[in-house]
Amino acid sequence: MTIDRVSGAFLVLVGLFVVWERRVLPLGSASRPGPGYFPLLLAVLLIVLGVILIARGKNAKKLRSVSWTEAPHAVAILGCCVFVSLLMETIGYRLTLLLILGFLFGVMERIKPWLTLVLSFGFSLGTFWLFDSMLRVPLPRGWWNF
Amino acid sequence: MEATVANLVLGFSTVFTPTNMLYSLMGCLIGTMVGVLPGVGPLAGISMLLPTTFGMDATSAIILLAGIYYGAMYGGSTTSILMRIPGEAASVMTCIDGYAMARKGRAGPALAIAAIGSYVAGTLSIVGLMFLAPPLARFALSFGPPEYVCLLVCGLVVLSYMTGGSIVKNLSMICLGLMAGMIGIDQMSGYFRFSYGVTALGDGIGVVPVAVGLFGISEILATAGSPDIREVLKPRFRDLLPSKQEFKDSIGPIGRGTVLGFLIGIIPGSAHIISTFVSYALERRISKHPERFGQGAIEGVAGPESANNAASEGALVPLLALGVPTGPVPAVLLAALMVHGITPGPLFIKEQPEVFWGLIASMYVGNFMLLLLNLPLVGIFINLLRVPYRILYPTILLFCVVGVYAVNSSMVDVGIMTVMGVLGYLLRKMDFEIAPLVLGVILAPIIEFSFRQALAMSGGEYAIFVERPISAAFLALALFMILLGLKPLLFKSKDWRERLTEAEKQV
Repeated sequence: MTIDRVSGAFLVLVGLFVVWERRVLPLGSASRPGPGYFPLLLAVLLIVLGVILIARGKNAKKLRSVSWTEAPHAVAILGCCVFVSLLMETIGYRLTLLLILGFLFGVMERIKPWLTLVLSFGFSLGTFWLFDSMLRVPLPRGWWNF
Repeated sequence: MEATVANLVLGFSTVFTPTNMLYSLMGCLIGTMVGVLPGVGPLAGISMLLPTTFGMDATSAIILLAGIYYGAMYGGSTTSILMRIPGEAASVMTCIDGYAMARKGRAGPALAIAAIGSYVAGTLSIVGLMFLAPPLARFALSFGPPEYVCLLVCGLVVLSYMTGGSIVKNLSMICLGLMAGMIGIDQMSGYFRFSYGVTALGDGIGVVPVAVGLFGISEILATAGSPDIREVLKPRFRDLLPSKQEFKDSIGPIGRGTVLGFLIGIIPGSAHIISTFVSYALERRISKHPERFGQGAIEGVAGPESANNAASEGALVPLLALGVPTGPVPAVLLAALMVHGITPGPLFIKEQPEVFWGLIASMYVGNFMLLLLNLPLVGIFINLLRVPYRILYPTILLFCVVGVYAVNSSMVDVGIMTVMGVLGYLLRKMDFEIAPLVLGVILAPIIEFSFRQALAMSGGEYAIFVERPISAAFLALALFMILLGLKPLLFKSKDWRERLTEAEKQV
């Protein structure tokens, strides 16, 4: 299996998904196009391009040859992003960032504990002070107003 | 001419206030820093700093953000010359001869010529921008919806050709981007589209979370965990000044790089990167001693460094005059302007002259500041490179989160940034270019709106797009570009875009 064929199949699936989801939006007519007109046009175009990629993808790079050496790090960082997305408004900016910076510096990068503490506290509290207190950009404080 | 001088006086009177001078200086310094640091480009820099501008007036904000944009081009050369790592993608070609010069103990002159070339190109390009943008904006006032649709389609097709790689993949990224741009309330009918009950998606998915996710987060995901191999060559500042011969050899490349860079900058695509490649190739071709290239030829530094600065300012012409961004960084600048209530386009220069001319004047001042500051401060900037990447990337992640959250105080935006980060990471693995996707998202609302208006005007006749001369010309150009892009599928010979990709990989 080549990367072009896999990505082509993905594009076709996205196109089909949009065609399916569009059915709740009025299509209108050519002289008065509705909200579903342009998405349908794009979805059809995406399916065509996906099919071209599948058809011409025989000699592209093999999927197995793609290197994933950084994947463990990527998954951890991604987990941090999801953690921020879900919990920052609940537990507040400072605590959230303290936790994810502590995890990244201390656990993922094995930085010395004292430096991890200094960096995590420094960046989470320092950026809150800079943005929220000095520049008046409101950042979430969480349930306990911290 | 008199009107231009009067406007320029207005611009300088706007800039020469202590506050705006300070913002210009700050923008230039931050820009140089983000240019120096590999993995942090002007796009991440502008996005991260955008929230800090919320309390400022629009002119000061755009002066600061534009400073980051062109300052990054100066900073990018430092890492290329001293470490053979392009701090900014546009400095790839400088790595070749800049690093070779540094190894021969000529890092000082290489840095000096890069700064001087950047200054000359930057300043001359502002003159071009100053004279070209207003008439272009006046011309664009005659555009109706069909012309706008064709202009934008043409821009996106040119972008997909110029970005390099497979044109089919690039066109599919544009389609995907345009579809993502459909999310939210339809401006004409009020329907919620593809929002699945998430009210925060009513305004669409937003340029900043998309750009920061696709460029900033995906870069972190792709590079974190890689070993730090950083050998920094120390420049000898005693001989910072280039020799007479080096000066003489640099004049031509700087002039040619400026003109090339500015013209290529106006075209959509990764103009600042392509311009350096074209400039390097041109200098090597016309040189009497092409064998010196790769061994430390000063022309190989002067030409590309001038070209990338000229291109970054050339890209502001379509952005300010037509409201059409030609790449991801101008797109984020556009988003920043819109956050401050400014909509670039044909009426912008006429209706808000103090912002446009203030920006122009700030760029003259900023380029001069960069020339004065860059060389003495190069030692400080080099220290930034001593910060290990394992400390740097969590910090960048933090600023990405703050930057994205602060635009709308919305956690949904942080979620979008995360999703886009994963998408960008996977797309990189599958050899897709990300820039066309971002541009698609940004231009989707205006393309769709104009497209539906044009069809309503013609009573559903698609012929309206080919019957009007301007729109037909844009479509013909787009078709020509698609045919050019399909050429490698039919013939085995490598075209310049493949050679550019290979050169980037070699560096």
